[in-house]
Amino acid sequence: MPTVTVNGKRVNAPEGATILEAARLAGIEIPTLCWYPKLPVVGNCRICVVSVEGQPKLLPACATKVSDGMTIATESEEAVEARREVLRLLLERYPADHLRNGGRAQPRNEFERYVVQYGVEPTPVAERDLSLREGDERPGDPMIRHDMSLCILCTRCVRACEDIQVVGVLDVAYRGEHAQIIVGNDGDPDKAACTWCGECVRVCPTGAIFEVLPRERFGEHPVRSDRVVRSVCPYCGVGCQVDLHVRDNEVVRVTSPDILLDTPNQGSTCVKGRFGYDFVQHRDRLTRPLIRKGWVKREGRWVWEGPTGELRRSGPWRTIAGEGVELKPPAPPRATGKRLRDLPLLERVTQDIRDRAATPAEWYEPFREATWEEALDLVASELARIHRERGPGAMAVFQSAKCSNEENYLLQRLFRARFGTNNVDHCTRLCHSTSVSAMQAALNTAAASGSMREIEEACDVIFIAGANTTETHPVFGAAIKRAHKRGAFLIVADPRKIELARRADIHLQMQPGTDVALFNAMLNHILACGLENQEFIAKRTKNFEAVRRAVQPYTPERAEAITGVPAALIREAAERYARGPNTTTLWAMGLTQHLTGHDMVTALLNLILATGMIGRWGAAMMPVRGQNNVQGASDMGAIPFVYPDYQPVSDPKIREKFARVWGVDPESMSLEPGLKVTEMAREDSPIRALYIMGENPIISDPDIAHAEAWFATLEFLAVQDLFLTETARYADVVLPGASFAEKTGTYVNTERRIQIAHKAIEPPGEARADWEIIVDLSNRLGLPTPFKSPEEVMEEIRKVAPAWAGVTYRRLEGAGLQYPVPTEDHPGTPFLFADRFPTEDGKATFHPVEYSDPAELPDEEYPFVMNTGRQLYHWHTGTMTRRSRGLDAREPLAVVEIHPEDAEELGVTEGDPVRITSRRGTIVTSVRISDRVARRQVFVPFHFREAAANLLTSPVLEPHAKMAELKVCAVRIEKVPVEAAV
Amino acid sequence: MGYPHPPHPKETVVLSQYFGDPEARTYEGWKKRGGYTALEQALSMAPGEIIEIVKESGLRGRGGAGFPTGLKWSFMPKEKTKPHYLCCNADESEPGTFKDREIMRWTPHALIEGCAIAQYAIQAEVTYIYIRGEFTEPLAIMQQALEEAYRHGILGKDAMGKKGLRLDMYIHRGAGAYICGEETALMNSIEGRRGNPRIKPPFPAAYGVFGMPTTINNVETLAAVPHIINRGAAWYKSLSLSSPKSTGTKLFSVCGHVRKPGNYEVTMGFPLGELIYDLCGGMREGRKLKACIPGGSSVPILNREETESCLLDYEGCIEKGTMLGSGGVIVFDDSADMVYQIMRLARFYAHESCAQCTQCREGTAWTVRILQRILAGEGEMKDLDLLLELAEQMTGKTICVLSDSCAAPVVSGIKKFRDEFEAYIKGARRPVTALA
Repeated sequence: MPTVTVNGKRVNAPEGATILEAARLAGIEIPTLCWYPKLPVVGNCRICVVSVEGQPKLLPACATKVSDGMTIATESEEAVEARREVLRLLLERYPADHLRNGGRAQPRNEFERYVVQYGVEPTPVAERDLSLREGDERPGDPMIRHDMSLCILCTRCVRACEDIQVVGVLDVAYRGEHAQIIVGNDGDPDKAACTWCGECVRVCPTGAIFEVLPRERFGEHPVRSDRVVRSVCPYCGVGCQVDLHVRDNEVVRVTSPDILLDTPNQGSTCVKGRFGYDFVQHRDRLTRPLIRKGWVKREGRWVWEGPTGELRRSGPWRTIAGEGVELKPPAPPRATGKRLRDLPLLERVTQDIRDRAATPAEWYEPFREATWEEALDLVASELARIHRERGPGAMAVFQSAKCSNEENYLLQRLFRARFGTNNVDHCTRLCHSTSVSAMQAALNTAAASGSMREIEEACDVIFIAGANTTETHPVFGAAIKRAHKRGAFLIVADPRKIELARRADIHLQMQPGTDVALFNAMLNHILACGLENQEFIAKRTKNFEAVRRAVQPYTPERAEAITGVPAALIREAAERYARGPNTTTLWAMGLTQHLTGHDMVTALLNLILATGMIGRWGAAMMPVRGQNNVQGASDMGAIPFVYPDYQPVSDPKIREKFARVWGVDPESMSLEPGLKVTEMAREDSPIRALYIMGENPIISDPDIAHAEAWFATLEFLAVQDLFLTETARYADVVLPGASFAEKTGTYVNTERRIQIAHKAIEPPGEARADWEIIVDLSNRLGLPTPFKSPEEVMEEIRKVAPAWAGVTYRRLEGAGLQYPVPTEDHPGTPFLFADRFPTEDGKATFHPVEYSDPAELPDEEYPFVMNTGRQLYHWHTGTMTRRSRGLDAREPLAVVEIHPEDAEELGVTEGDPVRITSRRGTIVTSVRISDRVARRQVFVPFHFREAAANLLTSPVLEPHAKMAELKVCAVRIEKVPVEAAV
Repeated sequence: MGYPHPPHPKETVVLSQYFGDPEARTYEGWKKRGGYTALEQALSMAPGEIIEIVKESGLRGRGGAGFPTGLKWSFMPKEKTKPHYLCCNADESEPGTFKDREIMRWTPHALIEGCAIAQYAIQAEVTYIYIRGEFTEPLAIMQQALEEAYRHGILGKDAMGKKGLRLDMYIHRGAGAYICGEETALMNSIEGRRGNPRIKPPFPAAYGVFGMPTTINNVETLAAVPHIINRGAAWYKSLSLSSPKSTGTKLFSVCGHVRKPGNYEVTMGFPLGELIYDLCGGMREGRKLKACIPGGSSVPILNREETESCLLDYEGCIEKGTMLGSGGVIVFDDSADMVYQIMRLARFYAHESCAQCTQCREGTAWTVRILQRILAGEGEMKDLDLLLELAEQMTGKTICVLSDSCAAPVVSGIKKFRDEFEAYIKGARRPVTALA
């Protein structure tokens, strides 16, 4: 360990440390401009130069490694002079007139702070020899724009794009004084594959690259915020920590916290996290409780005096099915170019997209505004009445993977303790429920075994099955790309040629739904080559022989016939997988949302167990969770068969424990597992009263047309949400909840990391934090619920969930904790199963699985296979992202991705309307030609109400977890003549 | 040989012996002239032996820096764990320098032979010859020669008939950036990246092209190697007229105000005055020598007295406050406007700056603007101080030495020809407004 002296202080620096790092260890700051954490060092701004004894020249601190005995002076006369000169030279091209005289008191950015610190006076712009710098402006861009006169060419943005996000949109063009930052070749970020992640905005030291939103709304300059509040991004399961900048009770900007903190995102965000926050302030936000007109209180009792029958829940709207068949308006014009003056005048006008994607005014007509007293009273009395009259089996609750752990805990507590029902579920049903059932069966676990960081740091082979990570978990996707760049071998199994598949070393492009055959064949080949981990199998698992026999018939050749993947490729992938040495396995909806989802995950788990690729740093088993808190909601017992922390409802001892904590009679709680989401919304369902918190099943459930009809038949429906969603419009009572920014709570990300999000602003109008609503409601219903804050709720959770026993709010500050955290001094668990599995005997169990076809295969009448999923710019049912101006501007239209050759056969081109019909329904949507999909396959994102993909999907249910087969259904596609009225 | 002029008796003709002889370009012609015997001999030696011979010969890099070649080769890892590469820097772009061009035009096989020996000595599997993009004729000739060399088994699998020896050589054509002659920028360019110089360390011998151990040598350096192998280190070492640290012969590309511009090959330590007055035929009628840049445009300018007393080797030039550089001798007579000439030089560097380092990107451009202002009669006396201040910041502060190269002529020019600058500033000279 070299010892160096910095400004007279002795420091022991780690081997290979730079002067900059050594100085920071000594608490000495050296100014930097081109240097940035995690970016490759280029050492070109030359501001960090320091004097080193015995060296004739000044040395760049960022790029010079220390050696033992070095004596460094960071503020030597020479170094300071050189630094001042660098600043002066940069200032000669920088619009710095505001930095003369009084302006110096308020430097606007990192660069100007150094200018002031080192006392450099700019020449007035008019008297200069050099002109201001130019560069691509990204005019008309909905999210990111450039003012390149502010650029100091530190090239942080170029490296952030290339080396952190691994995209490479930005570059330096031209030479000498003409050098400038350019966007792709022609200024069009789209063609350069920009994902609008905003990494460039984050790293820019001068604001030359800036976010559009805070300026447009509040004027020319970036908004100064009153305060900054740490929160967790409300979108996907990566759980990026974000800083909310608040002014006048509005979130005016989102940034990512210090890159050096140990957060899951390490300073990055994706486009949704950085630019998708304006839904919080959208004018559609509900500000007062709504009660369906027709409910009146007479003599202390609520009675329905409105219309009955079909008109009971009707309103002045078209059903989703009705909207689906309408022709859609074209997308608003898009403007790109290098300079503002290149754009046609018309396109410079910014459209207010709020008018396009907002809640239609007439949707509010069936409702009247109400007080909280009225609304909660109505909900409490109706729930109590139906419970009394029809019993616990008629009660149900849809919880929310978007709400906090505390809120989910409280809501299942209410339904289990007060109504004695286990009809408690949430969208995990349509997400990783099959993973959970398979993992429970094999390992008795329900979460990822490892951490996302392993992929970047330690794994040699990455196997990704059915996860479009770069779009659905972009920050994690970037980490995978970085891992691949550093040399990890990437194998992608996906029917679509997604970005990672294009980058992959091996792409197994199988027919949709044939994964079991593929994985079995991989295992078959691994066994044939003797590449299985015999020691692991012997010591840590059981029932292997059954699987050995089961995979015997699945030769790579047979798998080729089923999956369409060449046998040689299957063999290579299998060998690579088994040889590791550290292989990490990821999967997501591409496996789970199948009729055989449970089997697919089981087959994958067999592969993991047979090769022993679990329980080491670098060998992780990672189901990539979708929602920001789908893991937490499951952990909190928002599943019909378990209490919080996966304690089975059928165990009387456990029931006893919960009853005691919740203060109810154990006998009043059910020992029967409840109904699952997909079992509730059916014609034969016993459910009469339904409470929904923050879910929108009318867009997300399969076969919507039926679901929508079913919701209308309920006796009582209460919805707690931010907006009057497609589901909420059928409610009796709509309770305005709070967005992530408006409440404190904890969330669990895909790597079991519990993180805390702090309240940044007040909810709009009378809207209330969701936990407050549930506490109030619980108390009204007579369930003792004495909590005054989410923190108090966590104190109760700790008591009942052993894996959470060591979790306190104080400990969650910073990077959070990865559970299990059994005690208050436990540091959390980055990876699990190092020496045993949480089963009785500590062993994992192999389960043989056989391949079977998807429920619906293409035929003459329905010749295409339709796949559904998400896009980069939208989130699930679009309630948030479609109300976010930048995001919606990127993807304003419902589309279907069609292979170019299929499009040619159908006679359609980009943007043409087509009619897609399945055995369930029809939608009209527009064509996007893309070779990401294979021939005879189409992809339809499910975000769009006006062309809801789930009108087409099949309601057939997977037998173990009752998952719907959302990834495969047979459809027919027809061209729609543009002039034809539908 | 002072191609296109007949050899002067004072020249020592080694590298340039066959300049002007088209037959020497062909494989057969080259064989007839003793070609590839050095390679044959080298392949019979251990790589380390070759390095020792080259070390012993005193050969130093002819690209400009004058680093001892054998020493450079010895930095390559002895234990081979990764691929090794040799890069031949044929991106000769230094204004005033045109010696490598002639080597490639007339004796392409000499270069190939030199490369092959060096490649064997450093155990590289591949040589990249990076040729300046504008060199269309040398490129065609080199390509032809390379094809011949492969065809005759000099290169490729079992090279020179040696079982298991594989020597591969590729030509990579530059795209017109001066900076790509800087060794690390050249490597970036070969890799397909923007030609920006890299920070050193790591040095190429540890982390070079594609991150592998790499040696990079100039054309003239490599072309000298076969002669050293053939005639021995002692012979080469004996070629020295002044400092024993500078050995061998050197090609000087003389241009500017002399009667007979061209390439002249002389022994190290040859007097610059004799080169100009005897070999090149001196000044034109009625003109007097005013200044000279002895080593390509990036070295400090010499005035008449310094020029006439300068000895052409590494040490002799340093003694006069300049550098031997690449041996591009630019001669100015008394008709030259030094302010204008210096602006032209600075403008070249401003144009060629890769724009990475602040001092270079902004400093070179600003220097040009100030010089243009002075030329236009709009300068002030304080501009000279500003120029010197800028030059100070542009020297020794950046990743590569391009900005130093821009500063050198400015500093030496103001020092030695200050009266000409002041004449513009004081209005004593007619302003130059057309700055072509």
